[in-house]
Amino acid sequence: MSDLLRVDDVHKSYGDEEVLKGISFEMDRGDVDVLVGPSGSGKSTMLRCINRLTEIDSGEIYLDGENVTTPDTDVNALRRNVGMVFQDFNLFAHLTARKNVTLGLRKVKGLDKAEAREIADAQLERVGLLAQAESYPAELSGGQKQRVGIARALAMDPKLLLFDEPTSALDPELVGEVVEVMADLASEGMTMLVVSHEMGFVRSAATDMFVLDDGKIVERGAPTDLFENPEHERTKSFLQGLNSAHGGDG
Amino acid sequence: MSERTTARGVPVDGGLPGWRRAVGGGAFALFWGWLVVRWIHDWFIVPNPAGDRTPFVPVGPFDAANEVLLSLADSLGVLGVPFDWLAGVFAFAAGAIPSLPALAQGAWLTVVLTVVSIALGFVLAVPLSVARVYGGLGLRWVALSFTELIRGTPLLAQLFVLYYGTNLTVFIRNVPGVGMGMVPDQAVWVAIIGFTINSAAYQAEYIRSALTSVHSGQLTAARAIGLGKVEGIRYVVLPQALRYAIPGWSNELIYLIKYSSLATFITVGELFNQTESIANDTYRYTELFVTAGLFYLALVLSASLVMNSVEDWTAIPGIGQSGER
Ligand SMILES: Nc1ncnc2c1ncn2[C@@H]1O[C@H](COP(=O)(O)OP(=O)(O)OP(=O)(O)O)[C@@H](O)[C@H]1O
Ligand SMILES: [Mg+2]
Repeated sequence: MSDLLRVDDVHKSYGDEEVLKGISFEMDRGDVDVLVGPSGSGKSTMLRCINRLTEIDSGEIYLDGENVTTPDTDVNALRRNVGMVFQDFNLFAHLTARKNVTLGLRKVKGLDKAEAREIADAQLERVGLLAQAESYPAELSGGQKQRVGIARALAMDPKLLLFDEPTSALDPELVGEVVEVMADLASEGMTMLVVSHEMGFVRSAATDMFVLDDGKIVERGAPTDLFENPEHERTKSFLQGLNSAHGGDG
Repeated sequence: MSERTTARGVPVDGGLPGWRRAVGGGAFALFWGWLVVRWIHDWFIVPNPAGDRTPFVPVGPFDAANEVLLSLADSLGVLGVPFDWLAGVFAFAAGAIPSLPALAQGAWLTVVLTVVSIALGFVLAVPLSVARVYGGLGLRWVALSFTELIRGTPLLAQLFVLYYGTNLTVFIRNVPGVGMGMVPDQAVWVAIIGFTINSAAYQAEYIRSALTSVHSGQLTAARAIGLGKVEGIRYVVLPQALRYAIPGWSNELIYLIKYSSLATFITVGELFNQTESIANDTYRYTELFVTAGLFYLALVLSASLVMNSVEDWTAIPGIGQSGER
């Protein structure tokens, strides 16, 4: 089995409300897949099921051929392999940018101080923030915070990175710097599953695009195909809405 | 005035104007300097636990000044009123000075009771508050019952139950060394245990509310990099919550300084106890209780000062002081 990630018939309900109604898809190593869909369609829930911040009701998820949804899966080990970047950054507010990155290296991976610092600085450099290593989150702009968030996830050397609307809390003029970092990662071969309506990123970096609606993947394909001839009327109107909302910029 | 900042670059307000800071600092240094010298003198230089201790300042000159001023006031008639007042000040000092060595000993126990109890209480309060916020149903229930029981009953009743109602007193008395030399007697230990338990409940309440004010995304992010729940709480949530808790926690410290006077009811010779017993012997109630009040005031102001510095040392941009996250 060569898929890096395989999601197989995943169901998830909150109370009476079924949020995920049998989701299946797979990703190859190096794929950059983008999940789009209307608000409340279950995009965040899907991502959180993959690193088990949310527990699924039924179905299976395989990472690198291994079922990670069994009761005796080590969730902390799983999360070392699956990084996550959040909409509202969630940087550790009491730690400098550098310490945000080293915390996991020190306490999860057990590296010593010097090793952790070396890796952290390399990752901060990768996202262009080495100069801000000593700054606290409150002293950084939104775009800088999100780049630290990406560096923090990258430092754990994950096999897969999940992004949940990484640019939607940013002022428009700060979106570009984050998209640029993500596009660089994509071209370096990082496997990424991204919830984003940032069409610039989708067009330039996405391998495939999934359209999620009402808990189901209603359409999947290369972005250009989906934009040009969507199969479903639903997809069409949704994508048109996105394109006009974002000025269709590339 | 240029803006002052803490080590981590958080701006702090300019503080008191120069002369007030100088006066305050002088009074602070005088009080603590005298207290510490007194303690060292009475324990190591002239150890004399049973007998009278001589004050550093002789009473004679104050008595003499009082008399001179009184006769001066007499001879001046109506114009002598201010001298009459001044005489009263010297009379007050002459009345208070002989009790100062005993009050210093009392203040020592007050400081020990407060500092040890707040510290041990803190050690209990952290797991208690974490259990309240993050524990399972059982743990939450236990922690809630404990804090409500303690906060819902009088501290004095708790002390009496511990001192008279349990075997604790006898048990501690039989521990070798208790009450000998520098080791305080069983009543002090019971008071420390009582204040620790009581203060743990109040501190837990302050820390609990600080824990809930840390954004839930912080723990989520900690879990997402592979930290366990306890580790996430320890390395990410608590360091922030404890900073938010400092102002409330400082209040608890100040309350405890004053509530420690309740230890007098279980025979602990702390500041209030010393004050009252001398006042009962000498009938100098005004001198004694006003002086004791000044002692408590000095202790409370010192505690505030220390906590303000702690708040400054631990301040981090975006956390605490400015109140914004
Ligand atoms: N912890 C939760 N408890 C109860 N209901 C939840 C929970 N999390 C999500 N939901 C519900 O599940 C549905 C899907 O939520 P989800 O956050 O996955 O949607 P989304 O596609 O990410 O939406 P958005 O674009 O607004 O972020 C929503 O109806 C939401 O109210
Ligand atoms: Mg979402």
